[in-house]
Order: sequence, then C-alpha cells, then structure tokens
Amino acid sequence: MTDSARSHIFAKLRQVSRGAPTTTLERELQAMGRAPGAALPCPDLCAAFLTNVLRNQGSVDCTGNRSETVKVVGQYLYEHYHSHRLVAGNDPRLAAMPWRDAGVLPRFGSVEPGEPVALSFARLAVAETGSIITWTGKANPAANNLLAEHHIVLVDSADLVANTEQAWDRINQDMDKSGRPRGINFIAGPSSTADIEGQLVYGAHGPHSWHVILMGDVPETALQEARSIAGL
Amino acid sequence: MKQTSETFLENASEALKDAGKAQRRDLLALFTPMVRDAAINNFENFQTLRQHVKKVRQHSLDNLDHYLAQFEQEAVRNGNRVHFARDGDELNSIVLDICQQHSARRIAKGKSMVTEETGLNDFLQRANLDVMETDLGEYIIQQAGETPSHIVGPALHKSAAEIRELFLDKHDLGPRELAETADLVAEARGVLREHFLKAEVGIIGANALIAENGYTMLVTNEGNGDLCANLPRVLIVCTTMDRVLPRAEDASAMLRLLVRSATGQPQTCYTSYYSGPRREQDTDGPLETHIVLLDNKRSDVLASDYHEMLQCIRCGACLNHCPIYASVGGHAYGWVYPGPMGSILTPLLTSLEQSAALPNACTSCGRCAEVCPADIPLPDLLRDLRHQEATENLSSTPWRRGMKMHAWLARHPRLYHALTAIGIPLLHRLGRKRGRFSRLPMADGWTSQRDFPAPQRKTFMQLYKARNKASRRRADDR
Amino acid sequence: MNKQHLDSTPPSKGFRVSLFVTCLADLFRPSVAFASIKLLEQAGCEVTVPLQQTCCGQPTYNTGDYESTIPLAQQVIELLESADYVVVPSGSCAGMICHHYPRLLEGEWRDRALQLAAKTFELTTFLSDIVHIELNGRNPVKLPTVTYHDSCAGLRELGIKGQPRKLLRELCDTQVKELQQTEVCCGFGGTFCTKMPEISGKMVGDKLNNALATEAKILTGGDLGCLLNIAGRATRQGEDIEVRHIAELLCGDLDGPAIGEGK
Repeated sequence: MTDSARSHIFAKLRQVSRGAPTTTLERELQAMGRAPGAALPCPDLCAAFLTNVLRNQGSVDCTGNRSETVKVVGQYLYEHYHSHRLVAGNDPRLAAMPWRDAGVLPRFGSVEPGEPVALSFARLAVAETGSIITWTGKANPAANNLLAEHHIVLVDSADLVANTEQAWDRINQDMDKSGRPRGINFIAGPSSTADIEGQLVYGAHGPHSWHVILMGDVPETALQEARSIAGL
Repeated sequence: MKQTSETFLENASEALKDAGKAQRRDLLALFTPMVRDAAINNFENFQTLRQHVKKVRQHSLDNLDHYLAQFEQEAVRNGNRVHFARDGDELNSIVLDICQQHSARRIAKGKSMVTEETGLNDFLQRANLDVMETDLGEYIIQQAGETPSHIVGPALHKSAAEIRELFLDKHDLGPRELAETADLVAEARGVLREHFLKAEVGIIGANALIAENGYTMLVTNEGNGDLCANLPRVLIVCTTMDRVLPRAEDASAMLRLLVRSATGQPQTCYTSYYSGPRREQDTDGPLETHIVLLDNKRSDVLASDYHEMLQCIRCGACLNHCPIYASVGGHAYGWVYPGPMGSILTPLLTSLEQSAALPNACTSCGRCAEVCPADIPLPDLLRDLRHQEATENLSSTPWRRGMKMHAWLARHPRLYHALTAIGIPLLHRLGRKRGRFSRLPMADGWTSQRDFPAPQRKTFMQLYKARNKASRRRADDR
Repeated sequence: MNKQHLDSTPPSKGFRVSLFVTCLADLFRPSVAFASIKLLEQAGCEVTVPLQQTCCGQPTYNTGDYESTIPLAQQVIELLESADYVVVPSGSCAGMICHHYPRLLEGEWRDRALQLAAKTFELTTFLSDIVHIELNGRNPVKLPTVTYHDSCAGLRELGIKGQPRKLLRELCDTQVKELQQTEVCCGFGGTFCTKMPEISGKMVGDKLNNALATEAKILTGGDLGCLLNIAGRATRQGEDIEVRHIAELLCGDLDGPAIGEGK
C-alpha cells in the first residue's frame, strides 16, 4: 500500500514541480542569504546569553574554572534541595571534575524516575535565544533533560555562539566528524504550560527549574549586566 | 474526525449563548494579540524575516518532489522507515500496523493536528489500544471527550473550574482540593508520567522536516513531545509532506516567526530535532522509528489556485486576531482547523460543499493577513472560495440572484438613479420621524441585531443635480 | 496639470478632483458627499462629480461574484480615469479601486486599473497628505468629545490611521478619545452582517461598548457601512452617542440629525 501511495504522491508532485536541477536549487538557496536573527540585548556575548536565560525563567551563575564550578554546583544543590546528589551522563568532561572537593556525589548514567536533580554539560549555547544545546547519547541521555525535577546545565563559554545559524554551522561540523546524533535538543527554560486559562505554570512535564552555569572566560561584569538588563 | 461545518451558523448560535465561555474568548482575544505584538515589535526585522522565510518556503514547495525525495533518502539513511499515506485512512492503518507488529497496548501521543485530521485516536482505540494524549491541553479535551478549539491551545475554551471537576471525576486519587492551576498541572503531570514510563509506542507530529539531514523538528513548551520521542521503544512521527524545508537553518528561521506569532515567546522551551532510532553507543531512545507522511489532498492544493495556503506554519495567530473566531470559538467551525486558516483548509481538505458557510465567516477585515507570519493573503483566498461557491452554485440562490440584480442595476446608471430617486425619498419619508426602522421587509438579518438607519433625505444625485440646476439658473439670471 | 509638480509642492487653486460619492453616501447620507465637496473646495480643489456613477462593486465582489463585478469595475474605470485625482469618502470603496480592481482585472484593463489606483485617494488621506488642508483663518470647528472607529479596509489596505486624527486636531482642535480594540472589525463586513447576523451583532455590540466606555459624545469614522452598523446598534440599545461621518465633522456640519436619529 505504501509503495503505491508513494508513487502516486510523487507523480502528483512532479506534475507541478519545476523540475530544476540540484545545482540550480542550491544556487537559488544561496542567493536568498541568511535570515535575520533577533538583536542581542547587549554587545557582550556572555552577558547577552545570560540575559536571555534569565528572561527564559532560568537562573544563572558564572565560574572561572572547574574547581569553582563544582563549588557552585555543590552550593546550589545544598541551598535549594538540601542534597549532595545528582545524576549526570557519562560525559568525560563531567567525569574529570573534582566533585569530591565540593562534597557533590554524582551518579553517572540515566536519570531514573524519582531522582530529583540532573546535570548536563551543554555542547553549545546560543545567545540569541538563551538556549543550551545537548545531543542524545551516553554523555547526555535524553531522560536527563526531561525526567528530573531540576536541571543544571554547564556551558563552556567557548561553546557559546551568537545565533542559531552559527549553532547549526557548529552542529554540522560535528556531524561531519562524528555522525548524526539521534536527537539534538535546544532547551530554553524550565518546562512550562499555559494550557489552562492561559496561565503560565512551570514543571508541566519536564523540570520545574533550570539553572545554567556559564564557565570559563566570562567577563566579570557579565552576570551583573545580565541581571540589570533582565530587570532582576 | 466527524465534521459539523455544515451547521456553522447553528454551532455559532449555540456558542454565543454561553456567556461564560464568550467572556473567556473575549479575554483571550484581547490578551493574545498583545503578547504577539510585543514579541514582534521586539524583533526588529520582522518584515525581512517574514519575506525571507516566505521565499524559502515557496522554493521548497515549488520543488517539493526534490526536497521530499531528499528528506526521504536522508531519513532512511538515518535508520527510519518512511511511509507515505494518500489519505487519513492510510495513515491510520499504517500506524495501527506498526503498533500491532510490536504488540503495543499503550501509546503516548504528542500534540498533532494531523492526527486530529485523520481521527487517529478513535481508530486506535477501536482496536483496543490505550492512547493517551500528553500535551496538557490535548489531554484535557481527550478526557472531556471534546475536540480542540484552538490549534495551539486546544483546551483554552475550558475554565480551570471545569478542568478541576473533570480531573476529580476522571482521576481516581481520593479527596483533594486542586484549588490552584498549578495543582491541576501537577496532577496531570503525575498521571501522564506513569503512562509515559509504560508506553510502548510514542507518536508525535513535526513542525518541520529537514531535507539536508533527514531530521524532524518538534517544538513544545511542556516537553511532552520529547518524552514521547525518547521513552517508548517505538517512535512514530506523523506529519504532512508540505513541512519539508531544505536546511536546518531554514527551520530555525521559520521558528523565529512561528513561536513569536503563536505564543509571543522568542522561542519555546524545547526545540528538538530527531533523526532516527537509538545509536549503538546510546543508552536510551527508541529502537525503531517510523515517519508517516500524509498527503490528504495537499498535492491537489499545491496544484490549485490556493497553493499559498501550504505556506501556513500553524501558529494560530490568525485565530487569535480574528473577531469571528473570538466571537464563536473554534468548535463552531466544526472540524480540526478553525478561524481564517481553518475556513480555507477545511473546504480544501474536506469539501467545499460540506463547509460552504466557512468562507463566508469573514468580514474581509484583513487583520489575519496583517499578522500572518507566512504572509498568506487569507481574506483573498476566502473570497476566492466564495467565488468558487458562486460558480458551483453552492451559495443560496436568492442571494446570488439579488447580487446579480444589484450589479445589473449598477451597470445602468440612468435606471439606477431613476429607481433610487423614487425609493430613497420614500424610505426617508417613512422613517423620517424616528430616523430609523426597527424592522424592514427583506432586511431581517440586519434588523435582528440593530436598527436600520433611514436615508437622510433624497439621494445625493437628486440633490446635487437640483443644486447645479439652481446655480445655473442664477448664473443665467445675472 | 502636472501631477509630479503637485506631489512635491502644495497644490494651487484649480486642482481638479473627481469625487466618487459611493453608493451608501448617495442613498443614505448625502451630507457626507456635500461635506466632502466643501472640504475639497476649502483646500483649493476644483471638484467635479461624474453623474454616471453608481457603485464600485464591493457587494458583488465580496460575495464572490467576480463575473458581475468585472463590468462594474470597468465602468468605474472608464468614468474616472480622465480625472487628475479621484477622491472617495470611504476607505473600503477606495480600497476596492486601489487594491481589488487590479486583482480582479487582467491585461489592458489591469493596467488601466493600476493607473486609476495611482491617483485614487480616500478623503482624509487626500486632505491630510496630498493637499495639506489648513484652517486658513477660519475658526476651528467646535466639537464635543469624539471617538474614532478605524474601518478595516481603510486601516489595513490604505494605511489610514493618523490622517483623520490629524485633521480632527488641526481643523477641529479635537483630540480623539481612543476606544479599546480600535483596530478590530465592527462586524459590518458588507453582506456579512446580514448573512451571519448573530456573529455580526456580537461584534457590533462589542464595538459599541468600547465606544461608550470612552464617554465620547460622537463616534466618527471614514466608512458609512461601519457607521450605519454602529449607529443602528446604538439606537437599538438606546445609547446616548451620536454617529457621524468624519467629513461632516471636519466641515462643521453638525446641524442635521446624526445617523439613525430622527428630526
């Protein structure tokens, strides 16, 4: 049935198609240029990203190095959840962190139902949208983005790009090298719904809260600037 | 899905009687344009982006055979099985076959207007499958046994109080308050989470199909679609072939329009691209993935004068800005797609005969076209459908004759002026005292809702000619 | 007269305008057409009214009877195309000529439609943007509080928004009291209001309520269709608000009864 449906549909499509050769199509697409993106809230990429994360109802922190990062994660965990535990994917970058220094007890693997806090190391982050990007795999099982109540995401400032076009350039480079991941997830905020009377509620299906830690080469003023632009 | 578009006027009349629901619609009609406007105004290059995406989409549709074949090839390379369905029945059978091959009993379903179009839920349920909608809005209306009233917010016609009653009735969870909206959301989350963890098959839709790499794109705020796509061991993506775009960056560009137009957000919480089944190294994800591509007359639309309608990105902005949608709500339209886009799609995807009232549910106010991110000339297409109704004798005969008579008279100015010079002064004299008529023969439609203002005096043409004659006489006298 | 010259400099006297009265003004409210003539003359135009005019064809066009509309459109084009400028005291009729004739017609007729469209203007746009009407020593018209209904075709097909407000400010010293959701349709929609009366009734009811909430004494606008609709609803509900066409207000013609009011 499917085969005949396929040929039937393609026969109909060919009737109205221009039948232009691939090279012409590629040339035409090229000629259209790139779409305009949203203007960044400020010139500094880090501050712009942090601003948009805040606007997306995320919370933010900045750290300079790995030991600072584990300390901040540990503090955040204890302050908000009175816990030392979290679940993280088998990401070598996460495995190499000095968790014990900050009293954090990570379990590496997939989040199981009932485990409250998940940690991901983003592949990329986009300033334009305030989103972080992960892809599915051992390093970050999809469940870790979705099943925990709270999602903490580390972003290396070197992986921060200005807009989604640049993000796709980087993703495409990576796919050329390592193949296509099963899933590419752009996340921009805690899970939310407005399906009941248009009233916004967080934690619809996924995490209630979303905490982003930008680490590495981040201007000292970035966090403050972001908070002030976001009106916090 | 059972269609009741034929009784649009009766449906509308019913809807208008429910004051509570009408008030909620009024609020949404005030609020949704405001958030959309704010988002668009914040994005400085809206018009440039709109025209860019329009060009790309037009290019994709003009070469759909090429890009669809490319998508299929890449999707197969990614490990998917790609199916084609000419109509809703074919899609439903394909999906059921897959479920039965896996002896699946429980299905977790993400929001998909396409499967509303094909009536997939009913079909699967008749085969004893436990299908659960997981988008909160869809879940609510599924529990209530209703259909979506809006393509983005399917349950916005229901009050929190109604939803509370519904949950107390449907969820066997003992006595509880459910006083806040957040409590309702939390309860649905708990119930649905269990279903997610047990479901063998996940079904989702797609906002775009990317030809260059075979990924499907899915946009949600809740993350329910992603749970459907990642937890069950089989994933079925049901969508239509007009969603194809050449490149991933084209999908991103389109998203900038879609989300702002739909909810006023700059982007949704979750934007996900899925390529196929779990990879060798992966610890989770479906073991088998299928993509079902539905035509259901879209290839006919592509070849017709209504082909611009395929540019629609299903944002719902035209619904939110349509005063008729705001007045009567989505259910009155009697099928899956309401509002301006629905009044065009319904006749095209079902039949004009079944939905002849819909293209007339338009004042040509143009607000929909103004906000449409795909720049579709919706009022023009609606008028063209009315033209088709006139040509195919689907509109009422007295109306058509009346209009023809008006046009004929207007083409005979002398007769027109002579007749109006008799009729109008007469009408003026009859209505002079009150200045209006509460009833007039053959004008029930008008006078049922408002008075009919009486003509001010004679016709302008009478008065003007008289005035000219008088001034000529004065000139002659001098 | 050379139009390019006129575009760049204020018009001088003897500037020739053909008035397209519109069928609703002709039949229901001649004062709109007389006020339009007066305003145009005040602005220094020489106004002629082609006597063979009837209707622009909107009713048949909007019901989808294109075949009956085409000869009507051609008749209007033949009647008006020799004018320097065509002025129409209605956004929807002007929109019909400017936007829909070219869409409806083909070939040579389409070219002629486009040429006519280029010199056709809705009244307030013409007064405000083309001839730059001024008081020229006359006293401003005294008006009670006014709210303005943006008619859809004028607003969205022709971009009429600031012009009527500016004219009310400059000629009548009046600041419009804006009504909520001013850009939402009043439910007239030509034949729509009689085809779908209940929905239309809901829409005009909302429009009237928004107008009443401004506490303005007069509701005005540039399209008689909308005004007849809103006035009819206002009198049906017994509301204390006058409905008058903007041309009447701008030239101070407030003596006669408002739309739907008796003597």
